[in-house]
Amino acid sequence: MSPARSRRVLGTAGLLGFLALLEVAPRAGLVPDRNLPPTSRIAGALADELGQPSFWAALGDTLQGWAIGLAVAVAAGVGLGLLLGSVPALRAVTGSTIEFLRPIPSVALIPLAVLLFGTDLRSKLLLVVYASFWQVLIQVLYGVQDVDPVAMETARSYRLGRWARIRHVVWPTALPYALTGFRLAAAVALVLAITAELIIGNPGLGKEIAVAQTSGAVAATYALVVVAGLLGVGVNLLARALERRLLAWHPSARREAGG
Amino acid sequence: MRRPFILVLAVALALAAAGCGSSGDGDSGAASGGSSQVKVGIIPILDVAPIYLGKQKGFFSSRKIELTLESGQGGAAIVPGVVSGQFQFGFSNVTSLLIASTRGLPLKVVSNGVASTGKDKADFGGVVAKDASIRTAADLAGKRVAVNTLKNIGDSTIRASVRKAGGDPSSIKFVELAFPDMPAALQAGRVDAIWVVEPFLSTSLGQGGHLIASNYVDAAPDLTVAVYFTSRQLIEKDPDLVKRFTEAMTESLAYADAHPDEARQVLTSYTKIDPGVIQKLTLPKWPPQINRASVQTLADLALKDGLVTKPPDLAALLP
Repeated sequence: MSPARSRRVLGTAGLLGFLALLEVAPRAGLVPDRNLPPTSRIAGALADELGQPSFWAALGDTLQGWAIGLAVAVAAGVGLGLLLGSVPALRAVTGSTIEFLRPIPSVALIPLAVLLFGTDLRSKLLLVVYASFWQVLIQVLYGVQDVDPVAMETARSYRLGRWARIRHVVWPTALPYALTGFRLAAAVALVLAITAELIIGNPGLGKEIAVAQTSGAVAATYALVVVAGLLGVGVNLLARALERRLLAWHPSARREAGG
Repeated sequence: MRRPFILVLAVALALAAAGCGSSGDGDSGAASGGSSQVKVGIIPILDVAPIYLGKQKGFFSSRKIELTLESGQGGAAIVPGVVSGQFQFGFSNVTSLLIASTRGLPLKVVSNGVASTGKDKADFGGVVAKDASIRTAADLAGKRVAVNTLKNIGDSTIRASVRKAGGDPSSIKFVELAFPDMPAALQAGRVDAIWVVEPFLSTSLGQGGHLIASNYVDAAPDLTVAVYFTSRQLIEKDPDLVKRFTEAMTESLAYADAHPDEARQVLTSYTKIDPGVIQKLTLPKWPPQINRASVQTLADLALKDGLVTKPPDLAALLP
């Protein structure tokens, strides 16, 4: 068996073992089955949810908030990152403000979001964009700093204009950083989308979890949490696939493929 | 390297444009076909069954109200939402509104919300204990009792229960816990008693807990527990809308109170309560009129327990 294949087999076995443990523990009375229902009952509740249009609407709402928020954050983060990174004076002027704003946890803005936008999509977007924007911006700033000065001088001596220098010298250097920022931001955006739904009550998976909880529907609560987890896995796979595709030319990706 | 750059830029711009377009759509609250778009902030619990039932029955659309029900967990967003105009109306328990009004928030009650059944040991909420030595409310002295929100209607009415049973409420240690977490906390012995409402009252009694007091019943006969309210700005700006909402709400309450089976049925549309539990749980009462004497009692209790620092102005708060 090849190492990759045996790793996959072991990984599957581990997951199945974990699910079996969650099935047996409540049935054997190790944990109260009302508070942690066995896997099979959670699977049943999940099947119930999948049959309801309201579930798919909620999933759509979560993905919509995630995608719009992430897109705004990536566009703003890349744009501002390239601008601030290429103009040293601007970078110096904004540095302290960025270091002040960046550590504010997005969830601390929940009261503000509620006050400004209530429970509509914009309060969710405020949290999602605020949390994921910094991830992208900081990575792009690092990326721009990493530009090889010799390459930059060479581009200048070939009389490349500012736009051409950004596109042919700065951008290829910053792209791997920007994609790392995108991957981090994609995960954070999902966390904040579901947090907003859970706490503010914007339509989405998080709100469905809250409704299941206030209804005492324990198995349905777990089923929805499982969906949120699968969504997280999906988002990470998507971000990695994008990274591989856009960075196929990059030495790090080529090395990986070769080895 | 040229292609990825353009691809990323194009995708980012397209998505950013989509983002702008979409958030713009959220603003279009214009009236359609002459009816008013109304958002009501509620909590998705059984207390609000009449408004869902009334919407289903067309009591709101017949009065040209296009109703949207917005449920935020725990209702933290409701009062700020109504004050800022995000919601035209909101659902809140009476004690919370009394506290808000003494703090100067410009709120006005427009309709009854939900009331106690008025029957001792047969209400939709109550205090449950596990230890057999705790039999009456008087036995709660010195014990840890869970309530969903501290300094609110729960601890205030429990103190009334304890006083009525001849006990000393000052030594009770109130602990804040969410209703869904209470039955497990009682089972694990983390608290000595819990104040729960349906469906968690049924859950807890099914797990071997015993009901020691119906605090809403002990506090006042036929207690008005929660009401629908609006902001003073809306009353000044659109008194006709407020009047139509009150009428629709009154009709919904009367209908739900007279048709408990339909009220149980509508619970399946906005909660995930198990259908078996829905059939058995104790429904509250939904009288169309507010019991003003009971609101006065809650105001007196709030003042006595220090929830408010001055007597609430009931004439200004109630319709």
